[in-house]
Amino acid sequence: MNDDAELLERIRNGAPDDFAEVVRRHQSRVFAILHRYERDAHMVEDLAQETFVKAWRALEQFDGRAPFEHWLSRIAVRVALDHLRREKRRQNEIGLPELGEDALDWLRRDDEKSELDGRAAAEILDLAMHELSPADRVVITMQEIEGCSVKEICAAIGASGVAVRVRAMRARAKLKRALGKLVKV
Amino acid sequence: MNERKWKQLFAAARNETPPAPSEELAATVLRAIRDGGQAGRPETISMVDQLNSLFPRLAWASAVIIALSVAADWGLTAAGVPGLGEGVSQISAQWFLTPNGF
Repeated sequence: MNDDAELLERIRNGAPDDFAEVVRRHQSRVFAILHRYERDAHMVEDLAQETFVKAWRALEQFDGRAPFEHWLSRIAVRVALDHLRREKRRQNEIGLPELGEDALDWLRRDDEKSELDGRAAAEILDLAMHELSPADRVVITMQEIEGCSVKEICAAIGASGVAVRVRAMRARAKLKRALGKLVKV
Repeated sequence: MNERKWKQLFAAARNETPPAPSEELAATVLRAIRDGGQAGRPETISMVDQLNSLFPRLAWASAVIIALSVAADWGLTAAGVPGLGEGVSQISAQWFLTPNGF
């Protein structure tokens, strides 16, 4: 199959239906990013749709200097950030999610043999990260879970390197406090 | 929470499998693009969007112009150069408001 550059060139030259192929190629990556910020699968689907529509609208701005996947990932992160800001406003109305038994059990135990699966870990982090601002959450998620560099985080959220480093440090401290509170519950 | 648990927590979170996209996602995206009136080509940036993106620069430029004007007025007044308002008053007094005026 053709690479992204050739596919995008075809789309720019008047084959908009080929954008479906772009969606099929990159949907798993976009889902993986969005799922870090939203647990509900239907909502993730909506956010993925929003990401691809925004990518389509901004396609003229993609200059091909960086891989298309990186450019699309940045759009997905911004969609997630906007979503978190909307959700933050609604947070008081809808309340917070509750932890499952596995997650609670892991939080209470302190021995080295206690195991934690991905789902329970994501539940814990999701709940604790409600204490963070949306931008803090994006920074700590990109750094600690996605393994992104400071430069990549800067590009995604539009902040300077110093701002990202300071935010990451504060976000870690806040998250540790929030996790500490969960252990005591 | 100690460092070991912190690392374990993030390592486990990294391994979580995201939900699979539905098979209709590509079709839904194309429909949304068409419904938005974008069937032909990606949209160009509108004038309003361009103004929005320029707004911070325009605001700064306006603030700088206002500050320069205030500084110039203050400087000229201090130097004894008659201001524009003073000139207008003088013209009014000499020409328009004299007994023999218009």
